[in-house]
Amino acid sequence: MSKIICSAAIRGAHKIVGMAEVKCNDALEKWGPNQNIGFPNTTYYLPVIYAMLGIPVEMLGNAREVLNKCKALLPPLVDDELWLPYMDPALEAGMITLFAEEILEAIKYLEKPDYYTKTEDTLIDNIWLGAADDIIMRKRGVEFVDGSAPGFAIILGAAPTTGIAVKIATELQEKNLYVLMCAGHDGKTMSEQLVEAGVQIGWPTRLVSFGPGYTAAVFAVGFVTRAAMSFGGIKPGDFNGNLSFSRGGVFAFIIALGAVTDEWVANAAGAINWGVPVIADTPVPGLVSAGICNYELVVGNIPHDQIVQKAIDVRGLKIKVSKIDIPMSYGPAFEGERIRKEDLFFECGGGRTLAVELTVSKDMSEVEDGKIEIIGKDLDQVKEGDKLPFGLLIEVAGRQMQPDFEPILERQIHHLINYIQGVMHIGQRNIMWLRIGKKAAEKGFLLKHIGRMIHAKYHQEFENIIDKVQVKIYTDEAKVKELIKLATTVYKQRDERIEGMTDETEEIYYSCTLCQSFAPSHVCIVTPERTGMCGAYNWLDCKVSNEINPTGPNQPIDRGECLDPVKGQWKEINGFVSKASRQKIETVNAYSLMEFPMTACGCFECVTTILPMCNGVMVVNRDFMGMTPSGMKFTTLAGLVGGGNQTPGFLGISKHYISSRKFLKAEGGLKRVVWLPKMLKEEIAERVKPVCEDIGIPGFFDMIADETVGITEEEILPFLQEKGHPALTMDPLL
Amino acid sequence: MTIEIPKLAYTGKIKEILLGQEGNNITVGGESCYPFHLFEGTMPHPPKIAMEVYDSVPEDWPEAAIEPFADVIHDPVAWAGKCIDVYGAEMIALQMASTDPNAENIPADKAAAIAKKVSDETDVPLIVWGCGDVDKDAEVLRSVCEICDGRNLIIGPVAEGNYRAIGATAIAYNHTVVASTPIDINLAKQLNILLGNLNVSDDKLIIDPSIGVIGYGLEYTYSVMERIRMAALTQEDERLQFPIILDLAKDVWKTKEVKLSEEEAPLLGNQKKRGILFEALTAQCLLMAGADVLIMRHPEAIALVKESIEELMNRREG
Repeated sequence: MSKIICSAAIRGAHKIVGMAEVKCNDALEKWGPNQNIGFPNTTYYLPVIYAMLGIPVEMLGNAREVLNKCKALLPPLVDDELWLPYMDPALEAGMITLFAEEILEAIKYLEKPDYYTKTEDTLIDNIWLGAADDIIMRKRGVEFVDGSAPGFAIILGAAPTTGIAVKIATELQEKNLYVLMCAGHDGKTMSEQLVEAGVQIGWPTRLVSFGPGYTAAVFAVGFVTRAAMSFGGIKPGDFNGNLSFSRGGVFAFIIALGAVTDEWVANAAGAINWGVPVIADTPVPGLVSAGICNYELVVGNIPHDQIVQKAIDVRGLKIKVSKIDIPMSYGPAFEGERIRKEDLFFECGGGRTLAVELTVSKDMSEVEDGKIEIIGKDLDQVKEGDKLPFGLLIEVAGRQMQPDFEPILERQIHHLINYIQGVMHIGQRNIMWLRIGKKAAEKGFLLKHIGRMIHAKYHQEFENIIDKVQVKIYTDEAKVKELIKLATTVYKQRDERIEGMTDETEEIYYSCTLCQSFAPSHVCIVTPERTGMCGAYNWLDCKVSNEINPTGPNQPIDRGECLDPVKGQWKEINGFVSKASRQKIETVNAYSLMEFPMTACGCFECVTTILPMCNGVMVVNRDFMGMTPSGMKFTTLAGLVGGGNQTPGFLGISKHYISSRKFLKAEGGLKRVVWLPKMLKEEIAERVKPVCEDIGIPGFFDMIADETVGITEEEILPFLQEKGHPALTMDPLL
Repeated sequence: MTIEIPKLAYTGKIKEILLGQEGNNITVGGESCYPFHLFEGTMPHPPKIAMEVYDSVPEDWPEAAIEPFADVIHDPVAWAGKCIDVYGAEMIALQMASTDPNAENIPADKAAAIAKKVSDETDVPLIVWGCGDVDKDAEVLRSVCEICDGRNLIIGPVAEGNYRAIGATAIAYNHTVVASTPIDINLAKQLNILLGNLNVSDDKLIIDPSIGVIGYGLEYTYSVMERIRMAALTQEDERLQFPIILDLAKDVWKTKEVKLSEEEAPLLGNQKKRGILFEALTAQCLLMAGADVLIMRHPEAIALVKESIEELMNRREG
């Protein structure tokens, strides 16, 4: 289909270059080649030509030379019979169109100095602003670079009615986008439509009336090219640098309203070079090309009430939600707040009613951003002391979203809801418990506010991952049951995915240098089967953290060649640790206690160390205050482990790692464990028991001693002998 | 018998940053060795001292700090003038203290007008330092950048919370930025990376690792600076090879030890001398850790530190 578009672009380019040719020759005749031409108040000459070709057009004579180049480069019109790849010639034709249009506009400035206002605001008798001068470009450009303006929309043509024009403009304004308007359709322009409706236009309201003709579109592209030179440090003539700066960092799109002419297509083809996609309200054929950007280039036939959202979806604009619109205060200060029985207005879950919460990812087209639905009663329809079933379904979509991130997003629900003043949240998944206090109810707090808050916070905290969030809250029993059914399936899939994820299946591990502020040479290596020793960061957490904060403490490491599968040593991991520890640590074994063990910061959940007499190891958790068979309490052991030093025989680990199949693999794994504090043993029982089955000693769990058996090696050894603990007959540890 | 002093082989070099504008340029950085290890490498540009000027009459200053400026304390332009003409200041650091939302909270345009006036009348490189409130600084420093277009001011502190706003504006109006992080080498490096990604050019960047003065965490600042220099000079960490600036006077002169009068604390000795030594010694320690620019207050403290820099720079090997 792209042949239709491409041939139109090339036809359009021919027409526009032809026009420029005539105009330029007339002007040369009248003023001669030394006549100065240019746009007002800029050091970038005719910016597109200057940025792409490096040619400063100062005089008519220079323009003539550029036009000669244009003519030489202009691809031939497309033959109806012959089918060839047309993408490249069409893009070239588009580029040449823009050169020709800059010359046309520059001559216009020469012929009719008052055609454009050359101001930021419109004048009473003239609404056409023309090219932005450097002062405007810098002032507004800063907003694009610092993110206060997420991008801009170039509007070609006019809406079918004034009302629709206002609606589109308002919608774009609400999203803080700049709206750059040019060209007309059916004798009208969008700018005039807005003025007619009494809307104030001009740079200050972000509704910019560039000009009535399609050639004014070149002012928009000129703005982008100058931004790249000014803010991106791109040199004139570095067309590649300029185009990629814009593709990567300037979020612009074209909305074409009205019949798409060859000239429009030529302009659009020009803009596509900068990664600017076209969204049209007419049935133009779609266009995709992986070579330029990872989104559609042309999308047609979009209804007016969806056109803004579609444009945002296509270009992948990030929308900022700064305000959490709920009647209660919000913040970490309220996290620990309890709602006691006497303060209780409403509750659900916690064993009292059915309740579930779930975050899932969906296709972009299935999620309407900001939509909050309540299915069943909200708080204004219940009375004090009521209990209802509760289902919270959060559906998110985004270009960077992966199903793997769902549990991480879902896990935030707990603290996000707790941050609401007067609301308490406990638990997760289908064991969640929600309590709403009387004070919140008095202030008009509704369940829908939970939805609003989630929408805002998800956008704020996961900007890089998600583009859209919608929330459904169910209090209708039948619907909640349906949701629980769905959730159970999803939970099962997730658990299986995590279970199935091993250090062998994943090639990328993550670093964590979060703690280097106090343990400067410590580097954590987090693999699917060895979670961070703090217990707070597993492999998936690190992956998400890296998506959110690509320059942050969790960096992906392609582990590279495996140097020792038993001890858990990889070439690139060693390389990374060496660099990140600033050469202090050169070699790390992820699964070993005795040889090049991983360093620790100070935040480990547990310490594991050897018990030489028992030929085994013990693990003690931070919460266990008592003495251990090593002769040291946790605090003393912690001093030996922390600070980023490798101390063979002492290792900081997470509780979760004890039940990992990679737990101290180098020393023989779980079978080496001879002592655990009772509290820790109970906490991890459910996860460790299946591993006991796996290692072929189903009764192993009961062979592990605890403080009730003894707190010295002498005390526990007879117990181990009596139970036939496998460590006693394993290879010597020392 | 001769003893061969072991020498360290450095692999990196601190970037040279040109401050100020034509006619009053100063270059900082360029070190190819640890601070004053002149037997191992070179320090082409000795550390510089910027003298503080406040945008409004400072409150809460000990008498000793006010005394040298009593005649100009109401007028930032005259104050800057006195620092240059009388005390030979190489740079001026304009402290926009009155922009603080918890203090006078003057609006950005008013603050920018003051900065512009000082910038117009000051013939040495000018540092404009915000109040430290992330949002207010973004507002104020952006206005300052805009109104002082092309003056190559040194704009700070630029923090993680406002680096985009201030960084982008500094690029547009051609100023140098100070990347400021709370005593943490990784955060320092991260902010440098972020500013680089924003396209702030490497020759427009100085770093501020934040300050703890003597008795108030100097050792933390010291060891972070030390580690930054080790990473920069011996471990090829390119994103840390920037000159270091420290805003130290503010913290020195608000400590209890400096503010207590002789009557209140007779054991601490002469109050004026105490303040001056406190400032000079803090500065001296920071020089040893790798400071390139020190923002200081008292002329006598500055004189002591300058003398020390000169001596250290002129030391001969052996």
